[in-house]
Amino acid sequence: MTQTASTQTSAAPAPRQMLSFENVELYYDHVYALKGVSIELMEGETVALIGANGAGKSSILRAITGLRKIKSGRITYLGERLDGRPAADIVRSGIAMVPEGRRVFPLMSVKDNLLMGAFTRTDKAGIDQTLESVLTRFPRLRERFNQQASTLSGGEQQMMVIGRALMAKPRLLLLDEPSLGIAPKLVQDIARAIVAISRDEGVSVLLVEQNSRMALSISNRTYALSTGQVVLSGPSADLMHDERIKAAYLGGEL
Amino acid sequence: MEQILANGLYLGAQYALIALGLTLIFSLMNVLNFAHGQMYVFGGFVTYTVVAQFGLPFIVGLLASAAVLAVMGGLIEKFLFRPVIRRSKREESTMLLAAGIAFFLDAVILLLFGEKQRGVPKIVNGVLNWDMRIIMPYDRILIGVLAITLIASFILFMQYSRTGRAMRALAQDRMAAQLMGVDVDRYSMIGFALGAMLAGLVGGLLVTITGINLGMGGPTSVKAFLMIMIGGAGVISGAIAGGFILGMMESVGLTLLAAYGDITYLVIFATLMVFLAIRPQGLMGKPWG
Repeated sequence: MTQTASTQTSAAPAPRQMLSFENVELYYDHVYALKGVSIELMEGETVALIGANGAGKSSILRAITGLRKIKSGRITYLGERLDGRPAADIVRSGIAMVPEGRRVFPLMSVKDNLLMGAFTRTDKAGIDQTLESVLTRFPRLRERFNQQASTLSGGEQQMMVIGRALMAKPRLLLLDEPSLGIAPKLVQDIARAIVAISRDEGVSVLLVEQNSRMALSISNRTYALSTGQVVLSGPSADLMHDERIKAAYLGGEL
Repeated sequence: MEQILANGLYLGAQYALIALGLTLIFSLMNVLNFAHGQMYVFGGFVTYTVVAQFGLPFIVGLLASAAVLAVMGGLIEKFLFRPVIRRSKREESTMLLAAGIAFFLDAVILLLFGEKQRGVPKIVNGVLNWDMRIIMPYDRILIGVLAITLIASFILFMQYSRTGRAMRALAQDRMAAQLMGVDVDRYSMIGFALGAMLAGLVGGLLVTITGINLGMGGPTSVKAFLMIMIGGAGVISGAIAGGFILGMMESVGLTLLAAYGDITYLVIFATLMVFLAIRPQGLMGKPWG
């Protein structure tokens, strides 16, 4: 593929802009969720969004996927305007999301869950190929292939929804709190899987996490958000040692 | 005994088809389609018109019901339910709309087809007599087999087709389905059309046996709701189970309780009340929603 996204450095100059937010504002009913947010993500990069509950991290993802309409500002993806397009279009253009709380289809088999990920694709052979690569990446899913998704453990479900997103063969992968509600031991596995995916598939990753330490350790750059605004940003390796970040986000965490 | 079972199966298959349509619409859109019985009646009249008035073969009439009701369902979803769901946050709005559509369809049926009981000539003659144990006219057997075939096709379609999978996904997690690129509007419309089509098909099937009249709509809706309450609303297996259970109960009741007068439905309702008090989510539960 093009270039591998190394995890700890920010030295490699990114080739082109994948995604950008320019002064984006978003409300829920009458409450501000995003107040003039500007962020960008380069091709091949892994970017983390950290911050407390309600800081606006998930709103950024919802704005990208078209689940929420933005009030003003502009979202561009590979040089084209993204906001205002229907959700199905956005998936088709190569953006896949792993939603918060996993959102598996509980009464469908692992197989059908994964196939739903490829819903917008019509290349039968290509879908089979991607399915095979997902099952190789997550062998547990192969073991549970015909089982109902609701019978999987939280960690397995998280693997499955990451696999489901990969089934779309995305260029940009959005992950919303993949460590939420997962046993600490498995958080490591998921972090490793994210690194491996960005390396092997050349996918750009936008990672939303409350587990700031995990997010900082596997991303190239990080934006810290608070009450709907970007309050701090920079290479993750630098932010890891930033006193403000330490005080605000890394304090009491594991 | 065999006779009761055979009657129950025959009736249950028709009922299950009706319940499937209702539960599909409910699970996809969270809409209780009170007009389901009227759609069934409309389908019966379409088949009657095509077969008895135009003199075309029964199968043409049946396909015409399916087509007319599918189009009607699609239009009702697109122009009535969709805007109401979009603008209103209250669930009662869609219930009122559904009830309104039921009355409206009753009026349309009255205008187009009149108030008379209608039927079509027998599609096959003869009676099966198996050793006096099961006596059943061939046309009932044919209609029963057709209904079971339709149920099986519906299950296969929902289980293995891309569209069926998308509808199941939509019913289980609307937001996640959207994130997979499922166009919610489009698939809600397909689902509604399919549900209405099933109601129309049963109308077309039963017009050959029991005939059809204007007054059958309301009671059919009530029965359909009974079935999905028994089986568990929004679950395919529940609708099928509910349909066959109600069919069996009717069949048993009509045979065994006939001596005590017309009390079958009294007993069924009383039983159901007790059952729902113990298990309000129905047999198969209501795992989503």
